Amino acid sequence: MTTDRIPAHSPRRVAITGIGLVTPLGNDVRSTWSALERVQSGAGPITHFDASGFSTRIAAEVKNFDDDAITAPRRFLKFANRSHRFALAAAEEAMRDAGIAPTDEDAERWGCAVGTGMMGVDYADLAEVQRHSAPEGEIDAAKLLDDVSANDPLAFCRSQSTAGVALLTRRFGIRGYATSVHTACASGGQAIGTALKLIRRGAVDRVLTGGFDSMISPVGLAGFCLLSAVSTDNDAPQQASRPFDATRNGFVLGEGAGFLVLEEWEAAKRRGAHIYGELAGDGNSLSSYRITDSPPDGDGPIQSMRAALADAGANPADVDYINAHGTSTGMNDRSETAAIRAVFGADAKRVFVSSTKSMMGHLIAAAGAVEVAICALAIERGEMPVNANYRVPDPDCDLNLVLGEPRRQRVRMTISNSFGFGGSNSCVVLRHPDLVEGAGAR
Amino acid sequence: MKPRVLITGAGAVCGAGRDPDTIFSSLIEGRSAIAPIEGWDTAGWPVRNAAEIRDFNARALVDDRKLHKFIRRTDMLGIYAGDRAAEAAGYAAYRDALPEDDAAQFADRTGIYVGSGGGAFENQYDYFPLMQAANGDLQTFGRDLDEMVNPMWLLRTLPNNVLCHVGIRNRLKGANACITNHSVGGTLAVIEAAEALRHGEADRALAIGHDTPVERQNVLYYHGCGLLAPDTLRPFDKARDGSVFGEGAGALALETEASATARNVRAIGEVLGGGYVTEGSGLLTIRDDGDGVARAIEAALADAGIDAADVGMVVAHGNGTSLSDASEAAGLRRVFGKRSPPVTAFKWGIGHLIAAAGIVETTLALAALRAKRVPGIATLEELDDACAGIAVSREAQAPRSDVALVLCRGFAATDAALVVRGASR
Repeated sequence: MTTDRIPAHSPRRVAITGIGLVTPLGNDVRSTWSALERVQSGAGPITHFDASGFSTRIAAEVKNFDDDAITAPRRFLKFANRSHRFALAAAEEAMRDAGIAPTDEDAERWGCAVGTGMMGVDYADLAEVQRHSAPEGEIDAAKLLDDVSANDPLAFCRSQSTAGVALLTRRFGIRGYATSVHTACASGGQAIGTALKLIRRGAVDRVLTGGFDSMISPVGLAGFCLLSAVSTDNDAPQQASRPFDATRNGFVLGEGAGFLVLEEWEAAKRRGAHIYGELAGDGNSLSSYRITDSPPDGDGPIQSMRAALADAGANPADVDYINAHGTSTGMNDRSETAAIRAVFGADAKRVFVSSTKSMMGHLIAAAGAVEVAICALAIERGEMPVNANYRVPDPDCDLNLVLGEPRRQRVRMTISNSFGFGGSNSCVVLRHPDLVEGAGAR
Repeated sequence: MKPRVLITGAGAVCGAGRDPDTIFSSLIEGRSAIAPIEGWDTAGWPVRNAAEIRDFNARALVDDRKLHKFIRRTDMLGIYAGDRAAEAAGYAAYRDALPEDDAAQFADRTGIYVGSGGGAFENQYDYFPLMQAANGDLQTFGRDLDEMVNPMWLLRTLPNNVLCHVGIRNRLKGANACITNHSVGGTLAVIEAAEALRHGEADRALAIGHDTPVERQNVLYYHGCGLLAPDTLRPFDKARDGSVFGEGAGALALETEASATARNVRAIGEVLGGGYVTEGSGLLTIRDDGDGVARAIEAALADAGIDAADVGMVVAHGNGTSLSDASEAAGLRRVFGKRSPPVTAFKWGIGHLIAAAGIVETTLALAALRAKRVPGIATLEELDDACAGIAVSREAQAPRSDVALVLCRGFAATDAALVVRGASR
């Protein structure tokens, strides 16, 4: 690579050298990818709690998760709720995969950027406070004084938005820039975009980045039921998430974590790291429309996709695969289609699109991170996952979906979209490593 | 040369006032907003004081009454501060005079970065009536949900509400982030907004921090962790015994030189640089040698392209806890040696605003540079030996230059440093 092909604003390129996943499809990269290849669904009846009274009784749960998958010292687990455990396991897999860890000499050159879920307080802790301090339904301040849960420092630590980043930086000895972001369903994508910029601007040389979430709890599910955002197809959970299908009726709530190890390109090459691909560009925008609604004409997502492509020095013609936000709600999928058509023009008929939420559900703050990891794997394996459960075409969602079985072909570039409640839109662009090293990369 | 990042507007609200100059005046006069908590009956409580916003008037903060149903107290404060900064920078007045295409471009090129906190526990109390009625039976909980909980509950709870609503209200559509990183959130919002401008992601960006930590359960937890003083916050004092919560929000409007020149808007200051690190020691543990503080300052000075000797004043984090203040002083000594510029801290007067602390204190640093006066620490009786070597004072001091260094420390052993240049009136 010669430096004259690199735009002046980004002298440093960023390599993806490690991936770790805990998803409803599997508790590591291998099992998750294998389920995607076999077009398996991770959805089913909720088992975490008695959901029989809820309008939605299905979700895509992480299954058979074993704390023994976490090699961190046992005392770490006291500070970790379910989503933090997913984060520790996925981050450990990513670091193992990258085959590198901070040392005393370079710990200050490592960063950590994570998308953190919004549900800090565990339902069990909340229920204890209610029983003790709000027996009549209203909180009684005097009762709180001897409420065990309300005075339990560990419950407090687990509830903090920085609990995850604190655990991860301590676990791996990271001493540079460490941050936690939350823009609802765009959190994971924005965290990875932040990580990209940290390396580019030289704040750090390597970043552990990703997202983690678990809202499959009574209060978490309730929030989405109240908004009628989740599918109520309780009798057919595996078909409930059907992005871009005309009969789609809401998303399926998932949980999990996705992590990447990012490295400054030349440093990764020097140590002979395996490079999945280049994290080539990031774009984000704000729809400033309505808090939950997406603009029907794709305004907002259009700008994030264009900004990301420009940031990557790429054109729509360079992109072979879009991992769509594709939540399976009426509004999102229509708006996203309009945005893809506006940005890609004639290329919209060519570029392959799928929403892997059709199989793993919507991992909320972890979604964007898991889906960027899937894009990296798609490039590495030359294989694009299916948009499952698509039966009835919707003229408003006439995209070139990957249907039936995974599409096997060389994948030059991919983009991953994430759009959140509140209007934040994130788009992340990945490039095949050969196109960075080979001629005519830009 | 890094592109310049100008500050073209500011807003702040806390227990001591609803704009930076008013808050600054109260500090200069030695008045503290810390007083008995009014939010609930604190009889028997180990902590009874906080710097609450006493005349809290939701309509005076956010005029759109329909919006009140969708947001929490912390969001109101953030929206208020963000609106004030956008107004001071004259966004709407300028944009509305543009042809529609240019106005759309103006919106797309204006970003927003928010450090968000607050409402973590109390918002969930909305479920208590339902939980009481269900009496532990989750089937009943699910069945009666619709009748007993506000359908908009999840939206009220979103940590990125300020990002969303300030965006809609001010038509901001550019690069954005919502940073949920405890105390350093507001400072990181400024650092990330400035980086977005430096790298051409936006031409203008609002940076906001907001928080309302004065919550019953939150107070108990912080007290249980040994972090809260029973009554008074005494930064760097021998008798310091913890922090005291405040609540509030701060905002800065940042702008590239090209945009400010094109709009003919006057700068009230400039962001010169920032630095940010973690000590990597876990959620609540910090080092006693101030390593993170020193590294953050060194990174910020390098980013700003200035030397320690160029710093005219320091706004320390000074949260009044034993270990934080002593290690912060150690970090300052490592950077400044025997040549400490005037150092102050504001939390004795406005409380610890957690996610809003760093950014509100930056608006006050700009006010101090304008007035050429560094407010004294009114609760400082006797400097602790462990904090020796930093030029703190009960009395106001004169800044050594027009550059202020603002420090901010948070959970997860994080340290942020921001360097700003002030503009005289």
